[in-house]
Amino acid sequence: MSSTINGAEPLLRAVGLSKHFPLESSLLATLRGAEAQTVKAVEAVSLDVTAGQTLAIVGESGSGKSTLGRLLLRLMQPTTGQVLYQGNNIFRMNRRELSAFRRQAQIILQDPYASLNPRMRVGRIIREPLDIYREGTVAERNKRVDALLERVGLNSAHARAYPSELSGGQRQRVGIAAALALSPEIIIADEPTSSLDVSVQAQTLNLLAELQRDFNLTYVFITHDLGVVQHFSDRVAVMYLGKIVEEAPTETLFAAPQHPYTQVLFSAIPLPDPSRRVNWDLPKGEPPSPLDPPPGCHFHPRCPKVMSNCSTIAPRLEATAPGQRVACLLYADGAN
Amino acid sequence: MSLLSLRHLTTEFYSGGRWLEAVSDVSFDLLPGEILGLVGESGCGKSTIAYSVMRLLASNARISGGEVWLGDVNLTDASEDALQDLRGSRLSMIFQDPMTALDSLFTVGHQVIETLQEHLALDPPAARERALDLLRQVGIPAAEERLKAYPYQFSGGMSQRIALAIAISCHPQVLIADEPTTALDVTIQAQILHLIRRLLVEEQGAGVLLITHDLGVVAQVCDRVAVMYAGKIVEFGAVDAIFRDPLHPYTQALLNSLPSQGIQRGALENIRGRVPSLDDRPTGCRFHPRCPHALAICREEAPPLLRRDGGQEVACVLYD
Repeated sequence: MSSTINGAEPLLRAVGLSKHFPLESSLLATLRGAEAQTVKAVEAVSLDVTAGQTLAIVGESGSGKSTLGRLLLRLMQPTTGQVLYQGNNIFRMNRRELSAFRRQAQIILQDPYASLNPRMRVGRIIREPLDIYREGTVAERNKRVDALLERVGLNSAHARAYPSELSGGQRQRVGIAAALALSPEIIIADEPTSSLDVSVQAQTLNLLAELQRDFNLTYVFITHDLGVVQHFSDRVAVMYLGKIVEEAPTETLFAAPQHPYTQVLFSAIPLPDPSRRVNWDLPKGEPPSPLDPPPGCHFHPRCPKVMSNCSTIAPRLEATAPGQRVACLLYADGAN
Repeated sequence: MSLLSLRHLTTEFYSGGRWLEAVSDVSFDLLPGEILGLVGESGCGKSTIAYSVMRLLASNARISGGEVWLGDVNLTDASEDALQDLRGSRLSMIFQDPMTALDSLFTVGHQVIETLQEHLALDPPAARERALDLLRQVGIPAAEERLKAYPYQFSGGMSQRIALAIAISCHPQVLIADEPTTALDVTIQAQILHLIRRLLVEEQGAGVLLITHDLGVVAQVCDRVAVMYAGKIVEFGAVDAIFRDPLHPYTQALLNSLPSQGIQRGALENIRGRVPSLDDRPTGCRFHPRCPHALAICREEAPPLLRRDGGQEVACVLYD
């Protein structure tokens, strides 16, 4: 269950990964020589994704979790840092290597309404990756489409439908089938069930679990839903304003969250259990603007355990227990 | 002593040349000092109830039966003038998207002050004072300056605070909150829900009808809950009782389909099939085609919502 970096090479590894988005500055500001502002969406993130497991990346809006997901697939270029897939830096890959990587690494998006081409029939949508990679003959591809539809709980009749004729849950199944078409090793799922009703969410999560078991798939789940995280992931990385503040095996993290932000986040989740009440008083204030993050630890203005040096020292992510890393001065050597 | 009373409310939508029932024969009472949750999946009719109560239904919808009483006023036959008076004073509403309630062309201060002047007959300085007070109550920092800001200058959480300030400005007896925190992050959600409870329920004894799809929110903030399926209430009662001992097979399935640590990955309860559409509602109990306990009679007879010992109400023949 709880696996960590146990000597085995991770399938996917981010090393010092950062993404800064420059903001458009006005002509006047440029003439005045003002420094161009940047949003540090992802800042010095390092993490490992173990084959066959689910890593969850959690965080609130503006935490950078979706940007991180896109970097892991080279859907955008980083400002600095690397992503290693089976040891190879994906940002240094040549055409042929990149083409091979793209077969292996797929994405599922939150909104099946927006991510499927409304003018394409479902069969075309699922067949498109096979067409691009020229997999077999057209007849073989169509056969594969039928098999994929079957695999995700739809049937060959759905191939002729347009996305608008399907329910939200069915559309998400189409998205999953398309992601599976090239038999990938790893799937990055960005809020895969957030727009679904709970009963449909349950069906979708069960399907994803089945596929993981059958094909030994590796998942990176980007989500804000901690129920999904707890149920579905092996490891969790918690992000706040572009940085990982804590990373641990799921059970460890939920049993004993260490970073004050993780604690605040967990205490704010409305659990579907009236006997375990939310602590309403804990979360203070709003997350600051990513344009102008607070100095030192980004969380210090909202932190219930803030200390005097938290506004000046940016804590590093350091191991506090086997497999657990925390970026907080409370746990830094010599803090006490 | 109910603040808001729904009696056999039935609401229909016109579609494809005929009227289809979105809400069927719904009755309940909202009491002072309580948060009543209305929970269910998309298309169960929970928002349609809210819009029926507010009389804000779209032009292709109509209340075709039943009554809604706000104290001694029958909202279902109130004039538009009377409704205009009630909305924003005795009866308020907040929406999932706070921008629904805010006008992007006017400053926040203008909008709060306007509401106060319209309903409370305050002179401008008094209205301004009260507006400042409200903004502080809902946790807007630097309220004095923020009065001069436009809605686009606020984050989603801040906008929802402003919408809440406007909604509570005239001491409503009833607040209808339609997925008020669905678009917000959890830490902000906790703050807003806490504000609703403290400012309205605890301090003013108002009643809140909270419409949500989130069973966690229901468990944490509601006193009682109505579980809806396909336009009808299938179970109704105290939150503690329903989460401890859900009776209706739909409520049971819904709670078991929630992902949590205790359930093995891939073993969440599957409710077979899907929610029926408006033009394809099953006969008898509307849940019967998906129900693991369905009997022959379930296909023919729609079970009424019956009260059991202990006060929980359930619409299911298993408990007849």
